[in-house]
Amino acid sequence: MLISVIFIPIGVASLLASRDVVEIVDRYETDCIPANYTGDELSFIQDPSSNKTCSRTLTVPKHMKQPIYVYYQLDNFYQNHRRYVKSRNDKQLRSADNANSTSGCDPEDRANGSPIVPCGLIAWSLFNDTYNFSLNNEALTVNTSGISWKSDRDKKFGDNVYPRNFQNGTLIGGKRLDPSRPLSEQEDLIVWMRTAALPTFRKLYGKIEVDLEANSTISVTLENNYNTYSFGGKKKLVLSTTRWLGGKNDFLGIAYLTVGGLCFFLAMAFIVVYLVKPRQLGDPSYLSWNRSPSGH
Amino acid sequence: MGGWDRIRGSRTRLGGGGSRNSQASDRQSSSRTVRLGSVRPQHPGHRTIYCNDRDANLPVRFKGNSISTTKYNVATFFPKGLFEQFRRVANLYFLMISILSTTPISPVNPVTNMVPLSLVLLVSLVKEAFEDWKRLQNDMVINSSPIDILQDQKWESIPWKKLQVGDLVRVKQDGFFPADLLLLASTNPDGVCYTETANLDGETNLKIRKALERTWDYLLPDKAAEFKGEIQCEQPNNSLYTFTGNLIIQKQTLPLSPNQILLRGCSLRNTEYIVGVVVFTGHETKVMMNSMNVPSKRSTLERKLDKLILTLFGVLFLMCLIGAIGSGVFISRKYYYLGLDESVEDQFNPNNRFVMIKFIQSTQFINKDLHMYHVESNTPALARTSNLNEELGQVEYIFSDKTGTLTRNLMEFFKCSIGGEVYGTGITEIEKGGAQRNGLRIDGVKKATTTVHEKGFNFDDPRLMLGAWRNERDPDSCKEFFRCLAICHTVLPEGDETPEKITYQAASPDEAALVTAAKNFGFFFYRRTPTMIMVRESHVEKMGKIEDVSYEILSVLEFNSTRKRQSVICRYPNGRLVLYCKGADTVIYERLAHGNHNIKKTTREHLEEFGSAGLRTLCLAYRDLSSDLYETWNEKFIQAKSALREREKKLDEVADLIEKDLILIGSTAIEDKLQDGVPSCIETLSRAGIKIWVLTGDKMETAINIAYACSLINNDMKQFIISSETEAIREVESRGDTVETERVIRASVKQELKRCLEEAQHYLHTVSGPKLALIIDGKCLMYALDPNLRVTLLNLSLNCSSVVCCRVSPLQKAQVTSLVKKGARKITLSIGDGANDVSMIQAAHVGVGISGLEGMQAVMASDFAIAQFRFLTDLLLVHGRWSYLRICKVVTYFFYKNLTFTLTQFWFTFQTGFSGQRFYDDWFQSLYNVIFTALPVIIVGLFDEDVSAPLSKKYPELYKEGIRNTFFKWRVLSVWAFFSVYQSLVFYYFTIAASRKGHNTSGKIFGLWDVSTMAFTCIVITVNGRLLMACNSITRWHHISIAGSIVAWFVFIFLYSGVSTPYDRQENIFFVIYVLMSTSYFYLTLLLVPVVALLGDFVYQGIQRWFFPYDYQIIQEIHRNEPEVSSRTELMEIGHHLTPDEERSFAIAQLPRETSKHTGFAFDSPGYESFFASQAGVLAPQKPWDVARRASMRSQQRTPKKN
Repeated sequence: MLISVIFIPIGVASLLASRDVVEIVDRYETDCIPANYTGDELSFIQDPSSNKTCSRTLTVPKHMKQPIYVYYQLDNFYQNHRRYVKSRNDKQLRSADNANSTSGCDPEDRANGSPIVPCGLIAWSLFNDTYNFSLNNEALTVNTSGISWKSDRDKKFGDNVYPRNFQNGTLIGGKRLDPSRPLSEQEDLIVWMRTAALPTFRKLYGKIEVDLEANSTISVTLENNYNTYSFGGKKKLVLSTTRWLGGKNDFLGIAYLTVGGLCFFLAMAFIVVYLVKPRQLGDPSYLSWNRSPSGH
Repeated sequence: MGGWDRIRGSRTRLGGGGSRNSQASDRQSSSRTVRLGSVRPQHPGHRTIYCNDRDANLPVRFKGNSISTTKYNVATFFPKGLFEQFRRVANLYFLMISILSTTPISPVNPVTNMVPLSLVLLVSLVKEAFEDWKRLQNDMVINSSPIDILQDQKWESIPWKKLQVGDLVRVKQDGFFPADLLLLASTNPDGVCYTETANLDGETNLKIRKALERTWDYLLPDKAAEFKGEIQCEQPNNSLYTFTGNLIIQKQTLPLSPNQILLRGCSLRNTEYIVGVVVFTGHETKVMMNSMNVPSKRSTLERKLDKLILTLFGVLFLMCLIGAIGSGVFISRKYYYLGLDESVEDQFNPNNRFVMIKFIQSTQFINKDLHMYHVESNTPALARTSNLNEELGQVEYIFSDKTGTLTRNLMEFFKCSIGGEVYGTGITEIEKGGAQRNGLRIDGVKKATTTVHEKGFNFDDPRLMLGAWRNERDPDSCKEFFRCLAICHTVLPEGDETPEKITYQAASPDEAALVTAAKNFGFFFYRRTPTMIMVRESHVEKMGKIEDVSYEILSVLEFNSTRKRQSVICRYPNGRLVLYCKGADTVIYERLAHGNHNIKKTTREHLEEFGSAGLRTLCLAYRDLSSDLYETWNEKFIQAKSALREREKKLDEVADLIEKDLILIGSTAIEDKLQDGVPSCIETLSRAGIKIWVLTGDKMETAINIAYACSLINNDMKQFIISSETEAIREVESRGDTVETERVIRASVKQELKRCLEEAQHYLHTVSGPKLALIIDGKCLMYALDPNLRVTLLNLSLNCSSVVCCRVSPLQKAQVTSLVKKGARKITLSIGDGANDVSMIQAAHVGVGISGLEGMQAVMASDFAIAQFRFLTDLLLVHGRWSYLRICKVVTYFFYKNLTFTLTQFWFTFQTGFSGQRFYDDWFQSLYNVIFTALPVIIVGLFDEDVSAPLSKKYPELYKEGIRNTFFKWRVLSVWAFFSVYQSLVFYYFTIAASRKGHNTSGKIFGLWDVSTMAFTCIVITVNGRLLMACNSITRWHHISIAGSIVAWFVFIFLYSGVSTPYDRQENIFFVIYVLMSTSYFYLTLLLVPVVALLGDFVYQGIQRWFFPYDYQIIQEIHRNEPEVSSRTELMEIGHHLTPDEERSFAIAQLPRETSKHTGFAFDSPGYESFFASQAGVLAPQKPWDVARRASMRSQQRTPKKN
């Protein structure tokens, strides 16, 4: 009963907060394949010469208050695979002194005889689609700083560690990094390196720091570089606002409401049971040896 | 005098004669092991011993006399010790994991596995080694105790171990026999010596052994040195009461009987010294052959735990298999970002399996923790084996020794009936018990200050004491009565001839009690010569006069089991010839003179009264003889005495001639003093559904009597008596044909068993049939234990509510115990105090030793040692039950908490492409069982109690839950398992589902480690909260430990995620908690998940309690309103005759901190936050509605709303 009293308001509040969030989701990986490559996406994406640029238009359903967060969402991408998760070297990321420590990074530990910085499969497979937004032909700036957790930026990725020998191997996994900027400033890498718990995940791409009016149309020019075709993964672009609870997520609200309701129901049920079929408390006749004196 | 009986295996020796060696070695293998269940077959061969001739014995190579009771020696210690350790599945499992973890494919560091395993093994091995070392020391002490042997015509002292077969030894008074000896000569006349056999059969009365007449002279060394003889006898065997052999001396063959054999382990009494020939030595002595391996006991729960581990292992293996298959299916090169190699098959590597398996290790902690808390057992007892506590809660059969366990082995003259008048004011325990059942209160009899109370005399009646009997109605009868007591016996006085200092040595303690009684009545028997008995009589002629009277003893007609009476014919100083006779009522009544029916009738009534009070009765009678009659009879008597054939029979016949026309004087009632509180204890235990069997070395009559006295048998019960003392059997026996005897006994036993079983089953089918009791004696038992009769015996005895086995050997005790243990698969407990109980104690699941008078062997062999039989109630009903409940709770809880934890991991595996990626950080995993969830469960293991100690004694029926194993059935486990599946699903999917999107206003996204930390936090809280729901009594220790664990988790995570080290490690958790706590997601999930997870259990418990309450829950409810005070006063009533020991334990139980309140689940919500609030509510002063509030969950739920 107490639970229901506490839970139902929380549930309502969370649900409201979640409902308040405006979210635009656009799946683009199939639409961004040129017609002549249909059925052969893999050769398209692996062909370095093909034009990967693709345009999308998004309509804002409701007024979106800044900041508006830009996410990319990948499906069926196992960032939580054991081989993947451990394929990094935190020591190397933290300090320039440890550039040579590449343990655990196999197979992306060394290329051409020298260590890769940052090493490992995670960094190697860095997401490299890019998005450019424009509203009414006026470019919207996407702020890509401050998208990672501060603790990662300050403590885990050294400000004196520069990418070196990165993506120089025979296979190119993903994005190339600017060797002149320290890792702690390359926040897209930092975000990517915080591996997701599930094969379907979102990562923050950047922030749009202007309000968007309802029904305004945003055109997105994106470069569809990242290969999800080989494993049939989806790619989605997400624009979302936030509330105190975070992004749009009805789950907590519904769960709270359900549990609260269930508790209420159960309490009622017990009351009914108590009234309908009361059991004398401490009735000795319920003792097993009184119930069946002969048996034991 | 310690460990000779603890030998772990009897060993055979090489064969009898030198020429038999080849045969013997064939036999050796077959007979090396003593198998329970059948008396070891005797070797067909015989051994020949050349007395006093070491050289002649040399070629045979008899075993030496040194013994070893150690389990290991230097060479076998490691293999055997390790084997013992790896018999535990958990250890074996751990070893396997450790081996696997050293292989390169394992994801875990081998060190984390090896270190705890080696630590566990090391500690256990050191413990074993230490115990074995103590045994070794003990053996060494025994082996080097000195003994005199004859060498070069004088006695030389050598250590026991140097003794060899055929040596002549001298054993002095009170010394122990170093080996099985053939008695040659004694300093006592007639080659008689007295032995005490307490170590063999528990009886402290002395046994008489008599040497062959031909060897009486070999007493002095020079004479003994001339002794040359050859002994041909049976091979060593374990039968204590048989011996067959011949002594060939100067070409004459003399038959030997058990009467000439002095067994190792007995001691010499009342004899200055004896000379004997060593027949069996060391491990071949009968007593050593009777001892068994020291078994390493494991509790059934532990075995079940092993099964559980195997099951869990199987489940995990299945999970891994799913994982591996999944991984094989999943893996393909399309996931290019995984950087896979060319060969796909490579991905079938078992890595992921190990990750899974690692979790099962946590079960290892069960064992560790169990041991930890076993240390605590605040019984008024000593727990010597710590891992059997929970067995105490499930005992169904108790095997009890009689002497020293049920009884104090103290005979006390308690009442008497003289001339139709009952004297004596005492009340036996049985009568007390009976009166209590009828609701009567018996006030303690005020003890007169004049009461004489000494060993063997517990009688108080001013009408008889201090010469007052002279004023009774029939003083002449009294006089005869006392004289009969003082004269008609075979007691030897010892020590100073004053009433205070004299001690009586008697073949049976009854006789000593009777003589002591006579002394206290003023007829002080103080000296015996071969023909005279001297009695110092007071108050006979007139008050206060004391005179010494000597009675001439003309003939003694000794007691034996067929005659059941004993007579002495004596001549008074004034020439009066009297025959005094005492014996069983049946035989005396047959021989009474006609007339005087009144006295006969009243005396018979009194006898029945005494008998039902559990007293041992004897009738006293006398007969005045004329000298003519005596003379003529005496001639026949002397003839009979010198008869060469069937002397015994003839003596009996002659005795019959004179023992007739007796005049009844009265009867005596002797109390075989029970230990304190035995009848009530037995009564309580039987209400608890425990069946008590008495296994005793005593005679059948005694055993039945004691069974009556302990209220094991009463007159309402149907008794089945299977005895070898029937006419038919005796007749066959007297013919002396052993084979024929055996056949007849076997047949009759079989027939009897069949008949009894049929009858028993008939009674079972009738609705209100009487309770059944089985009484069987050792000889029949030997045949009944035969493999083909065993089943019948078992069926019969399981149908009986009490079983009494008399005249059983130590080995048979063990056989009976293991018959029930193995045959009926019930938990058995053996309790005993003497060395003769050791094998029984070792054979049972739980062995309890009584630290009594008969030495410490039983205690040494036992698992628990208590001081008194009645403490068994506490041990079983209170502590055993608690331990059982606690262990069940702890084990199921461990099972639950690890399964929950593991399953979340398992669900995660499905979403990682079956790669075996760990959901949680390594350290979380390792510390989960050690820190975050360990303390509360230990607290539960230590303090949980469903009902208080006095209540569990008040409702012994509660114990039946343990016997039925209510709390550790697979069903119970599967309920736990079900909820752990449910909870793990909640944990995983709720946290995951709640974490999908951005999590605060900054829109940042969580990674894997954030989510897992969140889930882990929920698990820690829920699991600890679940424990609170599971425990019956909530003390502040619970709060402290549970809050402590949760706090420990937060402290840990704050520190752990706060520091970063320069070492190369995966800093997954770095700063995670701070990140988490900056989001509202954290708090919302933290509230939601535990509540949802616990809701299921909460509802289940509510329904279970309301509709299908356990007995203890009802008891809790009955007594919910009773303040502790009332039960305390009640307790004090029981408690005022308790020993300080017990009182102390009660005092502990009553300490205010253990406010054992019924708070099963009396809180508003299962949510963690509300626990403390509701607890505070419970502790608040009681208001009218508060009582109701506590009464049940439902009203609990309503009250907050309505208030």
